[in-house]
Amino acid sequence: MKKCEITLTVNGEQLTTMVAANQTLLEVLRENLGMTETKYGCGTGECGACTVLLDGTKPILSCLTLAAAMDGRHITTAAGLARDGQLHPVQQAFVDESGIQCGFCTPGMVMKTVGILARTPNPSDEEIRHGLEGNICRCTGYAKIVSSVKRAAELMADQSAAE
Amino acid sequence: MTAYSTIGKSIPKIDVKEKVTGRALYAADLKMPGMLYGKIVRCLDHAHARVLKLDLSVAAKMPGVVKVLGPDDIKAHSYNTGVLDLMVPEPVGKMLGDIEDQTVFTKHVKHQGDAICGIIAHSEEAAERAAEKVIVEYEPLPVYLTAEESMQPDAVQFTSLKPGNRAFQLPGEMFPNNAYGWGNVDEAMAAADFVVEDTFYVPKQKQCQMEPHAYIALFDDGGRLQCWTSTQMPKCVHIKLARMFDLPMSRVTVTQTVIGGGFGARLGMIGEPLACAMAMAVPGRPVKVLYTREEDWIASESRHPGKYWMKIGFSKDGAPVAVDALFRSYKGGYYTQGSGVAFTTGSWLGGMYKWGSCRYHGETYYTNHAPCGAYRGYGNPQTNFVMEQLVERACSKLGVDPVEWRKKWHKGVGDDGWCPGVTYPSCALDECLDRGAAAIGWTEKRAKYANQTGVKRRGVGVSVMNHTSGAFPMLLEHTTCTARLNEDATAEIMLACSDMGQGAHTALQQIAAEALGFRFEDIHIKAGDSDSNGFDIGAHASRTIYVGGAAVKSACEDARKELFARAAQYLECTVEQLTMRDKIIYLEGASNRSISAQEICARGVYNFVDAASGQRTGIPGQIQGYSSFLPTSNSPPFAACFAEVEIDTETGELTLIELVNAHDVGKAIHPASVEGNLEGGAQQGMGFALTEEIYYDKNGLCLNNSFTDYKMLGPSDMPKLTTILVENPDPLGPFGAKSAGEAGIVAPIGAVANAVFHALGIQIIEAPITAEKILEAIKKNGGV
Ligand code: FES
Ligand code: FES
Repeated sequence: MKKCEITLTVNGEQLTTMVAANQTLLEVLRENLGMTETKYGCGTGECGACTVLLDGTKPILSCLTLAAAMDGRHITTAAGLARDGQLHPVQQAFVDESGIQCGFCTPGMVMKTVGILARTPNPSDEEIRHGLEGNICRCTGYAKIVSSVKRAAELMADQSAAE
Repeated sequence: MTAYSTIGKSIPKIDVKEKVTGRALYAADLKMPGMLYGKIVRCLDHAHARVLKLDLSVAAKMPGVVKVLGPDDIKAHSYNTGVLDLMVPEPVGKMLGDIEDQTVFTKHVKHQGDAICGIIAHSEEAAERAAEKVIVEYEPLPVYLTAEESMQPDAVQFTSLKPGNRAFQLPGEMFPNNAYGWGNVDEAMAAADFVVEDTFYVPKQKQCQMEPHAYIALFDDGGRLQCWTSTQMPKCVHIKLARMFDLPMSRVTVTQTVIGGGFGARLGMIGEPLACAMAMAVPGRPVKVLYTREEDWIASESRHPGKYWMKIGFSKDGAPVAVDALFRSYKGGYYTQGSGVAFTTGSWLGGMYKWGSCRYHGETYYTNHAPCGAYRGYGNPQTNFVMEQLVERACSKLGVDPVEWRKKWHKGVGDDGWCPGVTYPSCALDECLDRGAAAIGWTEKRAKYANQTGVKRRGVGVSVMNHTSGAFPMLLEHTTCTARLNEDATAEIMLACSDMGQGAHTALQQIAAEALGFRFEDIHIKAGDSDSNGFDIGAHASRTIYVGGAAVKSACEDARKELFARAAQYLECTVEQLTMRDKIIYLEGASNRSISAQEICARGVYNFVDAASGQRTGIPGQIQGYSSFLPTSNSPPFAACFAEVEIDTETGELTLIELVNAHDVGKAIHPASVEGNLEGGAQQGMGFALTEEIYYDKNGLCLNNSFTDYKMLGPSDMPKLTTILVENPDPLGPFGAKSAGEAGIVAPIGAVANAVFHALGIQIIEAPITAEKILEAIKKNGGV
């Protein structure tokens, strides 16, 4: 398989790696770059565990994204949201509301939440549930995930008020 | 109410920070120097076949391939992925007849996805490419998808050890006429004023834990077999691997990685035998085996589906005078938990109501599905779907309120639980029923929806359940725990109990803090390491807090006793005169006489001989508490669930409006976790009732092995969900706790089914209750 060199900015850091034309972003993040915080749940775009952010706020499924097509783009992963050991408000909200059980869906859920709140800073319950579709959680029944998203909206609002 | 320092508080769980950043390490996240990749080659095109020819020669020459392995290259005993063989004494085991009918690679394919051979290569990709070059010739065999087919006299035998393909029935040596129960059912049934009876179908539901199975195994240069796995039973896997590969346990290490959900999917062994067999073939090199989601689906275990017949006799006053039942399940291709589920399905039945007499037959037959194993509830969901609908039918015949009937006839304190002879120590089911009914507006809604016309119909239904807190006395119950006090008066709690995401380690840490009298943050739970952890039977039967928690409590009390004994020596008093606050131990009434826990611990470790006096500088020895805990009780939880649905009678479409789940949890150690477990359980229970089933075509090939085709309730499908924790501390559980892990899945099933009955006046006896089945039932009924 032909390989090409691409440059990705992941969590603010510029990284260069050789990728095959058929390699997914998920594979490149996990295998080439050792960033295992993005999870493989299905590999076919059906569970959302692999969600990352493109250009800071747009959730994408990294298992369906060809790495080569991401050359020069900015990617954020769950580990990159936290800064200097300080959780991002969305992450803090999941902690506060017990929106985490086994944690396997969590990085994807957090990424998805950032995307929801970027579009709808003050979402209704329905908007939250609708926004979360595509991200599967088998542990929580979504109850505490929905309250985490609500709490995240509050924390984000507090943060922008403070800024 | 006892004032606790951490028990009952929903403090942030100990693992949330690493999970929310994604840095928690699941098995697939691990990488090791020199690591190779193992690929299991599975039979995808047949559900039943014999391998006539296996040619690995081309695959072996593919670039990057290190080794290819067929069935004859494996030096290992056959095995059973289940664990029941470890949990009963040998004579009982003989009667139950659990068998080891699995091999690493097979020449007789018994289900789609059965493992044929393995490839070890330098990369996942190289292994996959080589896998495509494996040449296999099959002789297709007849495919059996129901017990009724595989039990035919001319059917191909799955194993010579189980004639007639009957994997299990309740053994006659233990249960006369192969039935569990009491009283004379035939007489009572004949004398009953009326009976309700039907044959139901319960579906093959998949756990769908979000983390696919993944392993690393290494046979190291020191001759030790190491395995990194997300098993929920590390110590069972430890001994099973040792036996399988003829190694002493001291030459096998099982390291448990963070578990991405279990729900039974990781009960016992799954892919460990395959990963280890591959590692044994390349000593010194770690081999990583990753299951794709599709593999996880077609090759790993699920819930037991099957036909479930039940007949209940009632007297005019509503007394359930007799219950008679037969659950005949479809085992799938291998034995696994064959004896377990077939048995417990009847236990939950027997434990629920004050049946005048009871007879339950449980049996299971081999079929060409992926094997059925453990899934949350372990037979209880199946029983709930059947029993609760029949009870509902009877209530409507009797003209009594279903809540009132249940209050009158459910078992409670002092009655025999799911195991005859073992009584319920506590039961708050009445309170669950009352609070649940109030929350959903039971009385008003039952009346309001009684005589509906029009296209859309609403209904409310109720269901109750009992479960278990551990497997005592039926199966082995045992957890060991060591509580070691560090020299700075913090503590290391070592035990093999698993946290599958249910929050067990946080709750165990709370129990340790409370029992020691230390702060929560002074405690560290060290689990998941078979070398340093003592025995624990593993996470099953909702036992981790009830039994594991009791083991932690007992080990910590042991350590605390020694701490106080030393304090008494230092302060020259008796232990009864001492109290501890903020880890300072005081002589009561003399606040100037005190010693810190830290000083006692430090002087025990840094213990010198004073040069001048020749005396020791304090009481020597590191304090370590220990418990090898074997419970003598079981305190099952109860629950009442209420559901409201709306059905479009023209399309059959069902909308879940509300679910109220009221649980008798004893005492919630970490309430947010308990709620979370029950909420997640409810999602799975409603899925069982309405949408979830693995479907196969007539050749036994899976039709819905993906999250798109296998429908689980998503965030927008979930109804308004209310979880009520009814706290009525149990006299025997640690700090009053009963179990909450599995329970949440059970009662929503019957509640949803009964809400459908209330809405339509028709019962749907095959789960899942899909729109098509609703429409068909309406048609058959001549409308509603
Ligand atoms: S792994 Fe990408 S959606 Fe499931
Ligand atoms: S927390 Fe386990 S899948 Fe969501």
